[in-house]
Amino acid sequence: MTETNGSAFLSIDGLRKSYGGLEALRGVDLELQRGEFLCLFGPNGAGKSTLLKIIATLLRPSSGRVKVLDYDLDENPQEYRARLGMVSHQSFVYQDLTLLENLEFYAALYGVKDPRQRALALLEQVNLADRYDMPAGHLSRGMQQRLTIARALVNDPALLLLDEPYTGLDEHAAKVLRDQLQLLHDRKRTIIMVTHNLRRGMESATRLGILARGELVYLQEKSAVDHASFEELYFQHLEAV
Amino acid sequence: MNSLQQILFLLGKDLRIELRKKESLVSMAFFGALILVILNIAAGIGKQVDADAGAGILWVAIIFSSVLGLGRVFAREKENGCVAALLLSPISPGEIFIAKVLVNFCLMLLSQLVLVPVFYVLFGSNFSAGPIALVPILLLVNLGFSTTGTLISAISAGTRRNEVLLPILLFPLILPLTALAVKATAGALAARPLTELMDQLEPMIAFCLIFSAAGYLLFPFAIRED
Repeated sequence: MTETNGSAFLSIDGLRKSYGGLEALRGVDLELQRGEFLCLFGPNGAGKSTLLKIIATLLRPSSGRVKVLDYDLDENPQEYRARLGMVSHQSFVYQDLTLLENLEFYAALYGVKDPRQRALALLEQVNLADRYDMPAGHLSRGMQQRLTIARALVNDPALLLLDEPYTGLDEHAAKVLRDQLQLLHDRKRTIIMVTHNLRRGMESATRLGILARGELVYLQEKSAVDHASFEELYFQHLEAV
Repeated sequence: MNSLQQILFLLGKDLRIELRKKESLVSMAFFGALILVILNIAAGIGKQVDADAGAGILWVAIIFSSVLGLGRVFAREKENGCVAALLLSPISPGEIFIAKVLVNFCLMLLSQLVLVPVFYVLFGSNFSAGPIALVPILLLVNLGFSTTGTLISAISAGTRRNEVLLPILLFPLILPLTALAVKATAGALAARPLTELMDQLEPMIAFCLIFSAAGYLLFPFAIRED
């Protein structure tokens, strides 16, 4: 993804999404520059996953728009998707394929030059190289999550969306994820992470936000945030639900 | 990366899983063979059936058994959200549709390699033509059934009662194709030349073209969450 100087990498303008009469998003505005790492917190049902799905083009907004550089997400989403990675609540892996086959398949689908080499390198990165020929269905929950993360990185995404990525991870696996995110952040990849885990979210992000009742009620650079008051504000929104 | 390559990757992945697990193939072939045996008992073991009845029996077995494979192809994509992963990838929904049609086509063809010989063993003593005469009809039905079935299974896979909804939605749609196939098969079993079967084969080709185009255009709406 190329970027012209000064323009935002991602801009979201008046985004609304309704499911029947229920408003999941009620006018979200957001701008991110390339290389930023935004961590969004919020209570259950705040609209966090819906927001990520709209950015990922899996859902269409009821109104408002998402712009990622000059990509037309409605007319030609394929080009945009080729540089997008996502870790969702679901693993996105085929249980009957081995770890290597899963990653190789996705790498080939994304047009990666040497899919096998890329798959092996990613398995190494998430410490699953010794289980490369094991069916994905035989992995533990934490290992599946590590495979999910490797799958999301298969195309070296310019924009990575993470929906509760720390769920089910033990301390070691969480460290592997944190290191991977740090690596991506160092390489100026833009990351949006949604989590309930305050500690994990705050240690990695460069910007912090709170989404509550479909609105972005707080957005601030992490360097300008007082941790104690942020925690207090977050818990106030949790209690308000 | 061109479209054909992406379709082949997807097709290769599905066939690899299927040939490894053999879930759909075994159930399709076994269920189809079971139907043939039951109908053989119902008709009277050793009793000869004419070409008209034989054609009906063959297509009952093929159509009912094929639904089993159809449902499974999309159920596998829905597990662990893999369908969302495909929608997130650079492959277009139209290419996913073509790959899934090819998967279903191949599964039907493979199960027919078992069902047609079983049919001939149980009912074939009275027929003038061998199984080769059925090939054009089988190929056309496989294509029509796969295109229609892929679209309907994508719609029904998103519902809670997909195994019930799939045949309820699918069978009325493929009724014209099935009726034409039965008539054409009766003619083929009676050793009528292919030129005499064109009254059935031409509308079958039209059915395949119409449902291929409709499936390709409607499939993106069928698999999206919203």
